[in-house]
Amino acid sequence: MAAPCGRMVSRSVIQFFCTFSRPKSRNVGFRQFGISSACRVTLKTKSVSETASPSPYGLAAAVYLQRLPVISADCSPIEQSFKDMMHQIELEKSLLSDHELRLIEDAERLKRKQADDYDSDEEDSHMDQDIVLTQDLEDSWEQKFRSFQPAPRVRDDVDKDMSSVQRCLADSLVLVSEQTVGDQKLWLLPQMQWQEGETLRQTAERALASLPVGLKATFLGNAPCGVYTYKLPKPLRTESSLGTKVFFFKAILSDSGPSAPPNSALLWLKKSELQGYLKPAYLMKVERFILDL
Amino acid sequence: MSLAFSRCICRVLPQHIVHRHYPVYIMSKFSFRAEPKKKKKVDPKREQMMRERLKKKLKKLEKVPPELIPIEDFITPTKCLDEERTRPISAISFEESERRALLLKEWSRYKQKQHMAEMKAVESALESQREALEELKITSEELYQAALKPDFTLLPFTHEGPAYTPPKSKYEAPDGKYTDTTRVYTQ
Repeated sequence: MAAPCGRMVSRSVIQFFCTFSRPKSRNVGFRQFGISSACRVTLKTKSVSETASPSPYGLAAAVYLQRLPVISADCSPIEQSFKDMMHQIELEKSLLSDHELRLIEDAERLKRKQADDYDSDEEDSHMDQDIVLTQDLEDSWEQKFRSFQPAPRVRDDVDKDMSSVQRCLADSLVLVSEQTVGDQKLWLLPQMQWQEGETLRQTAERALASLPVGLKATFLGNAPCGVYTYKLPKPLRTESSLGTKVFFFKAILSDSGPSAPPNSALLWLKKSELQGYLKPAYLMKVERFILDL
Repeated sequence: MSLAFSRCICRVLPQHIVHRHYPVYIMSKFSFRAEPKKKKKVDPKREQMMRERLKKKLKKLEKVPPELIPIEDFITPTKCLDEERTRPISAISFEESERRALLLKEWSRYKQKQHMAEMKAVESALESQREALEELKITSEELYQAALKPDFTLLPFTHEGPAYTPPKSKYEAPDGKYTDTTRVYTQ
């Protein structure tokens, strides 16, 4: 009993080692690579924590706040003509509705009444005396419609006021604020410097909250939608700060709150108007993700 | 069994009758069960099984497939098939039909341009995002990982779309009372 057991044990042990060594022999290369990369990662993290050699660029986050259109845009001439044509075609292909049938009946009845040989007893016997003519109904509806005054679609005075959120209701607007960067006053999307221990999105939220007006927005995701690298001019460059990298985060305005005081250096601009306010290099990067659809 | 029966008969009948040497043909049609009667347990079992089988068959017959709910959109209401309702067709002049055909072509060209512009804008936005993420990865790994995390507070996201006129401040909407005439079907 002992001998076979021993043999079995030894066989199983050998098998165990074989299985253990077989993958080892096959994936030796991978195993080593894995180890080395792990070593590298640990070295890297060590280096980051020990020696402060981060990228020489400062980090900032900016918010691309978009006010979506409130009313539908006006039709361009081709759109208008197409709309009319489709309406015409649909009218031609349709059947008569109840209302139109009533109109036709009333017209016929009127014609019969005006004919000389008219026998009123024939008709009124199975109808009520006071018939409401369809035309009267139409007139009453028309009056009701006229008595309702909707808010005007376009208000020129509000459109010209660049700082009002209510301007250009048919387009989507971007919030732009004036900020002092270095020693210059520039028009930028509102941005804020990044601080340790927070994600870039939180920086962007802070940037939004720092504006003088109470604006409520929904940030779309944690990922930035664009980046702008700003290199400081040569005389100001030091070893640790070559410039700043500004990451943009997209947000949609949900509530504008009370209107801003006129001197708050905040503007709501359409995409076409951005050219007059933003610097060319900055504008080039920014207008890629500003959708004017 | 017939052998057993013949043996019984031999014992019962007197010898002289049996020894006539003609075979006793037992008609095998009648299979007499010489065994004792079946135990009482099995019969009710069998009857019970028969009853169950019958019940199952009845249930299967009674199982009617649920009536399909009619799709009201697919049923043309008889009002529309009324002949009186056909609109008097006015013939379209040649110029009018030409104008319509040309306008349709213009429209398709316009829409194609619009579509290409939309696709281009979306592509450029995606490209910009990809570059931003690459830059972030180079800059800081942990910020990059934080940026990649999905945002669970975003959905469900609702936004009121554009209407024809802007909302009126201090507008009192009239009471919209209506009777709901949708037909509800139960299967």
